[in-house]
Amino acid sequence: MKHSVFPLNRWTTPAIIRRALPAMGLLVLLQLASIGAARGDTDWDKPFPAFESNWFVDMSRFSEGAHTGLDCGECHVDMVEGTQKHPDPEAPGYLKTDVKERFDYGRCKRCHLKAHERSLEGAHAEAMKQQQQRKADQTEAAQKDDAPYPAPTCGHCHSAHYDRSQRSRVEVGRAMIETCGACHPVEKATYLENYHGRAAVDLGRAEAAYCTDCHGAHACVSLKKEAETALSACRRCHPDAGKNFADIVIHYSTQRLADDDHPKRPAILRIYLAGLVSLAFVSILLIGFYSHSFLLMLRKIHDKLRRPE
Amino acid sequence: MMENSPIENDAVRRFSVFHRFLHIFVMISFTFLAVTGFSLSFSDQGWAGLVVSMLGGAESAAGFHRFCAALFYLVVVSHLIWLGYFKVVLKGRWTGPHTMIPNSTDWENILQNFRYIFGKGKPPLFNRFSYLEKIDYWAVLLGMQSMGVTGLLMWHPEAFSAVLPGYAINIANEFHFHEAILAVGYIGVVHMTSTHLTPEAFPLEKSIFNGRIARRRLKAEHPGEWKDRYAPTAPSEGTTDPADAAS
Repeated sequence: MKHSVFPLNRWTTPAIIRRALPAMGLLVLLQLASIGAARGDTDWDKPFPAFESNWFVDMSRFSEGAHTGLDCGECHVDMVEGTQKHPDPEAPGYLKTDVKERFDYGRCKRCHLKAHERSLEGAHAEAMKQQQQRKADQTEAAQKDDAPYPAPTCGHCHSAHYDRSQRSRVEVGRAMIETCGACHPVEKATYLENYHGRAAVDLGRAEAAYCTDCHGAHACVSLKKEAETALSACRRCHPDAGKNFADIVIHYSTQRLADDDHPKRPAILRIYLAGLVSLAFVSILLIGFYSHSFLLMLRKIHDKLRRPE
Repeated sequence: MMENSPIENDAVRRFSVFHRFLHIFVMISFTFLAVTGFSLSFSDQGWAGLVVSMLGGAESAAGFHRFCAALFYLVVVSHLIWLGYFKVVLKGRWTGPHTMIPNSTDWENILQNFRYIFGKGKPPLFNRFSYLEKIDYWAVLLGMQSMGVTGLLMWHPEAFSAVLPGYAINIANEFHFHEAILAVGYIGVVHMTSTHLTPEAFPLEKSIFNGRIARRRLKAEHPGEWKDRYAPTAPSEGTTDPADAAS
């Protein structure tokens, strides 16, 4: 009857095993805890990176850029705002204002009319309107700007001096991740975790979607608000997509998601819980089998060395 | 599974040609599935880009992954067909001590193996398949069903999202990835050590490739099968088995 029960009790189990058991339990707990920890471990909230800015124009790079044929004067002309010269070097804070907020990007539309028109329809133009409204509004509450980044002008995304033309789709796409990710770090990180980001950016599959393929380039929009918009974005590559297709989570994160965001919040919760269960299942099985294999191998080697045939 | 016949004095047939071929197909497709799949899961690592470029880009790597998955599933299907053939034509049995069906002996063997591990008893007396071999078998047979379903979900998200909520595709992705880790972690360590690194077989277990196992080893590792099928029934038969002399 001595061996009728599983032999892990304090009288029959060697001390080393008894000591190792809590450690194994701890391993399982650590594994589970690391899941939670890994999810909080991001560098998403880095500050807005200063766009490369210099007093001088690097002419060798400029000559390789898309605007190489242009004279400086075609973009940099004297402008007048009301009766005042614009930009006015004597104005207070002139040197402290970001050049991208002073420059009159209205000049871009002389050549890029379509892009300019489209940009007025998107979410960035909306953000610009709100920013201007806040500036005009003198109340203290409005002055307290809670937008994390300045509303983007053309120059925030494009470098007029150095951006090159005729680049491949993958090249543009990879650069786009950095450009958009500067202000949308959560979206960048989650996109890169998603199949689309892995295939398009990491593995260079040109057919896979980059940021602007779903959200639009100049008239860029959030796909959260209307289901129709999201679905039509999916259908550009997945023509057979049905209603639920647009609910597949691409940006798997609850950061910067409204508390009542439905159905994304509950969907993310379910994915998280299902993933947690399967990871726990896998971890427990592997730890169990590894312990079994390791101990059995030790015993067999021990026997082999002790009792050679 | 069971059409064993003595083939030589010192060895018996353990696996038929059919099963040896199936195992080779599983080995090849499993390896390529793991390599192509993980080079997507870990696409930000340098080696992943190298593997994918060697396979001709992301699209052909994906195609190769699906080809290997289909090959793997073909193995499962042909095994199931064989099970029918085994039952109907060969008049074999699906259940019993020398089949893959788990039974109470396995549970006793597990307990006995732990007694052995902790120095409290002798090694368990396995039948034709030890409990680890049964786990190997069922892990593949059942694991392929769930890998197949989750894989299909990600292969045709348009069709499946018509009947399932959108997040089901995401859940399929999580399951597929975690189970892949389990499969590779299990095969790479548990299956490999329990077959090749175990002192009886070290450095290489060849019986799944040449189909033969030495009588001496069969008697030591699968004594239940030895007793039921190969052990001389009575000493008066004359021939002394070499395995008896060796032990």
